[in-house]
Amino acid sequence: MRTQIQHALGEVVKLGYLAFILIFAFFPLYVMLVVSFKSNEQFLANPWFFDSLADWRWENWAVGWNNVSGYICNSIFVSFLGTGITLIIVLMCAYAIARYNFPGKNIIFYLVMATMFLPGTVAALVTLFDLLRRMGLVNSLWALVLMASVSGQVAGVFILRNFIEDIPKELFESAQLDGAGHLQQIRHIILPLSASIISVTCIMDFLHSWNNTILPLLLLRDDQLLTIPVGLFRLDGEYVKQYGQLMAGYAISSVPLLIIFVFSMKFFVKGLSAGAVKG
Amino acid sequence: MSQINENSSMPSSLDNRRRMRTKFIQKGKLLLALYGLVLPTSISLLIFSYYPKIDVFLMSFFRWQPPSVREFIGLRNFVEAFSDPVFWQSFQLVGILLVANLIKLWPGILAAIALNRIKSDRLRYFTQVCFVVPMIIPSMIFLLIWKSFYDPDFGLVNRFLNASGGMEFLNWMDTAMPALSLKLAPLQTQFVDPVFGSVGGLILLGAFIFAASRRKELDRNRWGDYATLMAGALILPLAQLINPSPNTLYVLSIIGLVVAWMLWCAKRMGSAWIAWPFLLLAGVAVFHAELWRLPVCLLATLVLVEVIRSRKDEYEARPYFRILSLFLIGTGIFIIFLGNIWTQPIEQFKEGTPAWLGNKDLVIPAILFWGFPWVGTVGVLIYLSGLQNISQDVYEAARLDGVSPIGMIFKIELPLIMTQVRINLIFMTIGTLTMYEIFLILLGPDGGPGGKGMVPGLYMFSSAFSEGRFGYACALGMVLFVIILLLTIVYQKYVKVDK
Repeated sequence: MRTQIQHALGEVVKLGYLAFILIFAFFPLYVMLVVSFKSNEQFLANPWFFDSLADWRWENWAVGWNNVSGYICNSIFVSFLGTGITLIIVLMCAYAIARYNFPGKNIIFYLVMATMFLPGTVAALVTLFDLLRRMGLVNSLWALVLMASVSGQVAGVFILRNFIEDIPKELFESAQLDGAGHLQQIRHIILPLSASIISVTCIMDFLHSWNNTILPLLLLRDDQLLTIPVGLFRLDGEYVKQYGQLMAGYAISSVPLLIIFVFSMKFFVKGLSAGAVKG
Repeated sequence: MSQINENSSMPSSLDNRRRMRTKFIQKGKLLLALYGLVLPTSISLLIFSYYPKIDVFLMSFFRWQPPSVREFIGLRNFVEAFSDPVFWQSFQLVGILLVANLIKLWPGILAAIALNRIKSDRLRYFTQVCFVVPMIIPSMIFLLIWKSFYDPDFGLVNRFLNASGGMEFLNWMDTAMPALSLKLAPLQTQFVDPVFGSVGGLILLGAFIFAASRRKELDRNRWGDYATLMAGALILPLAQLINPSPNTLYVLSIIGLVVAWMLWCAKRMGSAWIAWPFLLLAGVAVFHAELWRLPVCLLATLVLVEVIRSRKDEYEARPYFRILSLFLIGTGIFIIFLGNIWTQPIEQFKEGTPAWLGNKDLVIPAILFWGFPWVGTVGVLIYLSGLQNISQDVYEAARLDGVSPIGMIFKIELPLIMTQVRINLIFMTIGTLTMYEIFLILLGPDGGPGGKGMVPGLYMFSSAFSEGRFGYACALGMVLFVIILLLTIVYQKYVKVDK
């Protein structure tokens, strides 16, 4: 009897603690939603909860949409293209390294790996900016696509190489006998067999380039080229602050990832856990 | 090879040669294809990852303002960096943040433990998903919403404090804390400062004693170790004494000497040396005005340890050391908290609208509180991966031994996920040293009011992109890089030892 009460108490404490943490973690999002329906006066009067439905300021969302829709398009362009290019390059490299022995293979592998163990070269941003400037990529989304496809490669090659090495050799050999080239082998063998691990790495890359802030902050000048993080930052800076409109903009710009998340929740949870374990 | 084949077997030589050739061509084709496959990765990494990193190293020796100015100036950037008060101050802030990290670690660990202990699988999965969701929202949105929390008029922090009476409490503290610090001041100026140099010296002595008492055996070797440590502590004071106005060559040779000392130390003392270079470095930072105190402090430590150890054996002595060092460190922290932080009334709370990000006294508390309750998704998932490896038998055995659920946190779960905690600590340390996005977004490139929120990364960023001193920024980055590299090496060793 007593132990039962203790157990129940334990559960309550556990769940209570988790609920406390989660409430605080989600509190900013809740505030975002509440305030997005308010004018500044309403926000000052009552920041904690929704007003009655009649007083909701739907026009905030219209203004917010006008503000951020361009940023969303840019972000989608950069992140999808960057992730796609990363995927192709990484697959090619991982396939070659995992399947064949050739002179220079180890050099290339260590070249890739060493970048993982050279963290903290924050100043590389300075020289990278200079490099991109000399290449004429300032104020161009292609610079971001390029950098997104470079930064994702390291972890991708590492993970996929291990995975491809585990695929039985016979599969590749029989495909080769049937006259499949390298690219066809990648497409018809690796892609279907390692779909889950590929989507995991893709999600990691995608999140990374979606959240990238500093580089676009430096590179992009024109308002119609900004990606979501930089665009929101600029909105926050230059407005006579209408918090409702700002928050509506924030809410709208978090929607695309939420949609992706709903469709690939399993991979997200797995991918982030895998990233954690790998780290 | 092919020539031998040709000569030895006449009839099939033509056939053989053709076969060799097709084989050769095939192999060449394969190689060509393979190199083609790995080419994009290697080229892109070389250009966009390696070239900038090497360029940082090279350009740190230049006065560089693209596109026009580019002039070799040797080590002057580094000399300037080491004498730049802003750079030093930024490391002070990093120190504060690192100490705060040790506290911010706990909510995440406890959350992971609680999450792991949920019995129903479905509920556990649901909670795990809930923890992942905040990752999906762009981090910039969280940053900006938190920034709005700190707004003086609209911000929810002020609204909450006003509604709950916290603001009155802060207002009361605003007169009470300076009064308390005034009372503590004589203790500090008349006792601590003359004897220990500063409060930092007090804490350092405690840390020295703790580190020195870790030695288990009382063998002959220890005298050599003591001499090595003493030599390390003496390098800088002596260098300063001999040549108070150093030129480049002198600085370089001193750095060489320090590195040689570290290598010798590592060779002689093995894994026990790890803490010492850092302690001595901290000592240099603490005593930078009066470097002679460093060897004196070390000497006092060693004498004390010897005296106590000559009376007591290892097990008896341990509690004495522990109490002594904890007492010193605790007193130091106590004095710092009560006497050195809140010394002047801030006079922001009276109207109930303190500008958290706009006042030079409030910036650091605001940043420390930022992101409450400090549970990072990645951290929780790292701990969770460790917790899931603990077998049920361990729990079962502990339960039979009558360990309470709370006791289990400290006796089972925490020790068993220590590896993960350390990994996370490494990430947090490197992150704290390198990350500056938050400060840039919340406070702007100048580090907010009075430059209080200046971290090394932000200083590098602003000296390059606001002041146009690219070469200097590269030098700052190199200093940062070396520090992180050393930390990583030490951590790697440290983590491996325990595995």
